[in-house]
Amino acid sequence: MLIIFLLTILGAAFSFAVKGRRREYAVYASGLFLALTLIYSLIRFHSGYTGGIISQETFNLASSIGIVFSTGVSGFSDTLIILSAIVIFLSVIITENGKYGESLYSYILITEVGLFGVLLSRDFLFFYIFWEVVLIPVYFIVAQYGGRNKDSVSLKFFVYTHIGSVFLLLAIFTVYTFHYEATGVFTFEMSQLMVNTYISKIPAFWMYFALFGFLLAFLVKMPSFPVHSWLPDTYDAAPYPGTVILAGGLSIMGGYGLFGILMPIYRSMGTGIMDLLMALGIISLIYFSLSAMMQQSLKRMMAFASAAAMGFVTLSFGAGLVESGYQASLELAGGMFQIVAHGLIMALIFSTLYYIHRSTGHDATHSLGGIFREAPILSSFLLAGLLASLGLPGLAGFIGEFSIVVGVFGAIGWFIMAVIFAMIITASYHIWAAQKSLYGPYNERLGAIRDADGPTTAKLMGMLIVIFVLGVVPNLIYGLLLTYAGGII
Amino acid sequence: MVSMYWPGWFIFISPLLGFAFTYVVGRYHRNLSGLIASLAVLGSLIASLLAFFYVQSNGTVYNSFVWFYNIHAGIYIDHLTLVMALMVSFVSLMIHLFAIYYMKEDPNKHVYFAETSLFTAGMLGLVVSSNLVLFFLFWELVGLCSYLLIGFWFFKPNASAAAKKAFIVTRVGDLLFLVGMAILYSSLQGYTGLGSNSPLSIPFLIQNAQAIASYVGPSVLGTVAVLFLAGAAGKSSQFPLHVWIPDAMEGPTTVSALIHAATMVTAGVYLVARVFNIFYYSAPFALYSVVILGSFTALFAGIVGLFVNDIKRILAYSTISQIGYMLAAIGLGGVFGYGGVSFGMFHLVSHAVFKALLFMSAGAILIALMDLRDTRYMGGLWKRMPMTVTLLFIGSLALIAFPGTSGYFSKDTIISASWVYYQHYGTVQSLFPWLFLATGALLTTLYTFRMFFRTALGKPRSHLAEHAKDPSILPLIPLFILAIGALGLGVLQGSFYGFIDPSYTMPSVPLYIDIVPMVLMAIGLVITFVLYGTSIWQRMDFSKNWLYKLGKNKFYLDYLFTNIIAERVIVPLSASFTLFENSYNRAVDNVGTSTLKLGDFFRRIQNGVVENYFIVLIIGVSLIFIAVKILGLM
Repeated sequence: MLIIFLLTILGAAFSFAVKGRRREYAVYASGLFLALTLIYSLIRFHSGYTGGIISQETFNLASSIGIVFSTGVSGFSDTLIILSAIVIFLSVIITENGKYGESLYSYILITEVGLFGVLLSRDFLFFYIFWEVVLIPVYFIVAQYGGRNKDSVSLKFFVYTHIGSVFLLLAIFTVYTFHYEATGVFTFEMSQLMVNTYISKIPAFWMYFALFGFLLAFLVKMPSFPVHSWLPDTYDAAPYPGTVILAGGLSIMGGYGLFGILMPIYRSMGTGIMDLLMALGIISLIYFSLSAMMQQSLKRMMAFASAAAMGFVTLSFGAGLVESGYQASLELAGGMFQIVAHGLIMALIFSTLYYIHRSTGHDATHSLGGIFREAPILSSFLLAGLLASLGLPGLAGFIGEFSIVVGVFGAIGWFIMAVIFAMIITASYHIWAAQKSLYGPYNERLGAIRDADGPTTAKLMGMLIVIFVLGVVPNLIYGLLLTYAGGII
Repeated sequence: MVSMYWPGWFIFISPLLGFAFTYVVGRYHRNLSGLIASLAVLGSLIASLLAFFYVQSNGTVYNSFVWFYNIHAGIYIDHLTLVMALMVSFVSLMIHLFAIYYMKEDPNKHVYFAETSLFTAGMLGLVVSSNLVLFFLFWELVGLCSYLLIGFWFFKPNASAAAKKAFIVTRVGDLLFLVGMAILYSSLQGYTGLGSNSPLSIPFLIQNAQAIASYVGPSVLGTVAVLFLAGAAGKSSQFPLHVWIPDAMEGPTTVSALIHAATMVTAGVYLVARVFNIFYYSAPFALYSVVILGSFTALFAGIVGLFVNDIKRILAYSTISQIGYMLAAIGLGGVFGYGGVSFGMFHLVSHAVFKALLFMSAGAILIALMDLRDTRYMGGLWKRMPMTVTLLFIGSLALIAFPGTSGYFSKDTIISASWVYYQHYGTVQSLFPWLFLATGALLTTLYTFRMFFRTALGKPRSHLAEHAKDPSILPLIPLFILAIGALGLGVLQGSFYGFIDPSYTMPSVPLYIDIVPMVLMAIGLVITFVLYGTSIWQRMDFSKNWLYKLGKNKFYLDYLFTNIIAERVIVPLSASFTLFENSYNRAVDNVGTSTLKLGDFFRRIQNGVVENYFIVLIIGVSLIFIAVKILGLM
């Protein structure tokens, strides 16, 4: 795995040297990375995974103050690595030659490096560095190629998520310092720091300070109410390939933070924090669903839908860790599955919207209308994406939402009706959006529009097939996630 | 694990293959699409027949494997499944054959046949699935197909609005069903009898229902059952979630016949029958709510049906009402045990046959009348389309339970059974089912023959009706087959009841109770003939009467859902959230602007973000080091 990672770094660096044909280069490079991660996962995770971290490597850089570069993959981070490889590949191939400048492709490849780094690092220093590395290229993507208000929005995105990062860094230093106090050893290793027996020894105030720092950073990325303000603006202003990366790639970081970083120390967190997380999850679900309903632009509406879907993840994390027995396993695995499913589905939706926007020039529901008549293929893909997003069985979104909703009753009781209410609202505005933009009489002002051609259909179809296969054969990754969760609780 | 019984799987795999083939081949050869889809459904029928003989000799089939975690997927075939699978594949085949004629002009008919084929696959998959989660998957798949097919003529604004309404209303029921599963799943935790079973496996639930009830408590299980019933009410369009079906008539008539009359809407009844033991062993309020919901809906939809003029919508209300009878029959299981299920299922089968017949003959009429659906402008069609209208007549007779037709055997048994139910308990609230159901018999006759006489007798009241002609006999063959079923299915009554429940007892009631529905039916026939067989109805004017207004507006339920709940509650709620979101967003922006002194920051950003980034990073890091220092001192 480390080799693949080094290759991605080289690949991204080398991309600056390619002139003229950088899109093709990026297609091949990200395709290669996708293939390599798939091969790696097949070899290492096809059978015999028993939980925990595998493929561990450690490099001492300055061991006296605990700076080491250590890497490793769990079943969960491996699925996320595959997911981000898929999303990056998709975001590259949906663009067309000459539409965007060359630097876009370099930024995308750097984002891939950052994402891989976040998922691979098993020590906090490099985790933090890669966490920041992801931000920079995405900032540039929005600032250079974005739409309306791109300057202020990209700045807002940067500052907002950066505040979260600062608290993450503070939290990291807190646990680092107290580890030195307790044992006399400097270390950034997660395997040393993220241990219940150690965390519970930190004085209460500082422990909660550290937990607050971690949670704030992850919830900003998630995003969760009330720290979400960057999201709709950024999704809206970003160019479509950027939105695909934001929705499919960056959204996993918050979820990974919860399930990958914080889950091992859940016993120290206490039920108060879990209750808070569950409450935030439910509030996010309802709040984002209701806010989405009134949005005019499909892109912005789907940004809220994406945030609402991540509300399920927050909810499942809180609920799964206060439950016990088979419910807890179902809940946690469902939450992790939801992260993957959400990434794939949002990538499909935003890619389809990109093509619709390209052929019609609009993405507001009221300026479209009846386009099924002229562009049946694109409309079908958008409908499929919307249905997947509202959790229709047979598609990937269902497995995650089903596991979460069915498992959650043990933790929240009749508050489940609030979740159901949000799901009904979600279904309503998805179907309403489909009806307004796809069906009904054709909006003749659009003139003649182009439907998807062969290659476009193939790209979107590939994505839909992945979503469909995961919806029908969830055990491809569900087992891995379950084993990973079982190794901790 | 036992070896797989492949014909059982083939029951729903065949139309699934049909879906793919129909779509792919149909793109190039439109005319083959109907044939391929019909063949695929025929495959299901044959597979169901094979399974029938297999189960007769070898007993129940149960194959399953792990789907994810402790959720299993598989097939479970017992007598109940067989009845439903045979009915669905047979009726679906008949409707597919008729649709070859009905849809022959449509440019997108390959899509139509692909979707009906997929629907049939979903319906049969639902019937044979062995786990509630898989059941739910197919349950939603048929809902999706219903959505797509209602909106098949997507360019009609009415059709796409109806599709939307159908999807959202049934979604409400579906999610309540999901809550039921959630409660069941979490309350079964720690149950020692679970073994290696999935907590939501259907055979596990129905075989251990009694023990489960004592483990989780009868009232908890009753709550689960009521939530399942809510799901069933959404799918089977029972009060108050029935509002989507009349609008769904905007789809092609064959779709109405297949999905909104014969098969999909009975899925809710099938769900209740499938997990009947859960209802039976939980607290008594579970089964009572089934019987009261069913009988009340039977009455309610009958009343509303009296005020409708659209021929398809009249049939839609009659579907709602008849499904009410089925649910009520199952709810009577408190007295009759599993026999209640056999009464309900027999009415389900006979209803599927005669309602498919009614819808398709109405479809044939609509083709002749260029989709004019208002019965006020028909009239005199018996002379002009003798074959079609005779078929409609046979269907109508079966619907009002005319003695000798299949409807008589299936429906009057239920009404008699509800009297036995009253005698068993002797309380006032146990009399309601009989009252509602018997009154329903009168209403059924009234709305059915109001529709029929207006259509068939008198003088044509529009240009289109004057020139209507019968279609050729070939497309009507499936209708003749169904008509034979509608007339003759009654002979199977006893063996059918015995097939579902070997220990059933026929309800025996005094003669004066037994003839009540028949007398009411006769009264209804006389009233409708006097009013609608002649032209008296044209001179009647109730438009000032408040009762008439109440019925005409469907008791304002549609108004309540669309205009009050959706437009006056949800939309303002959402608007206020959006308003809050916008102002919150602006507040965040303002905080950012004022603290960071945006203009200043901006200029530096444009010089190079990376530098700026490092400045922020350094500030951050130095803050940390200060913190560390302080920590060290403490």
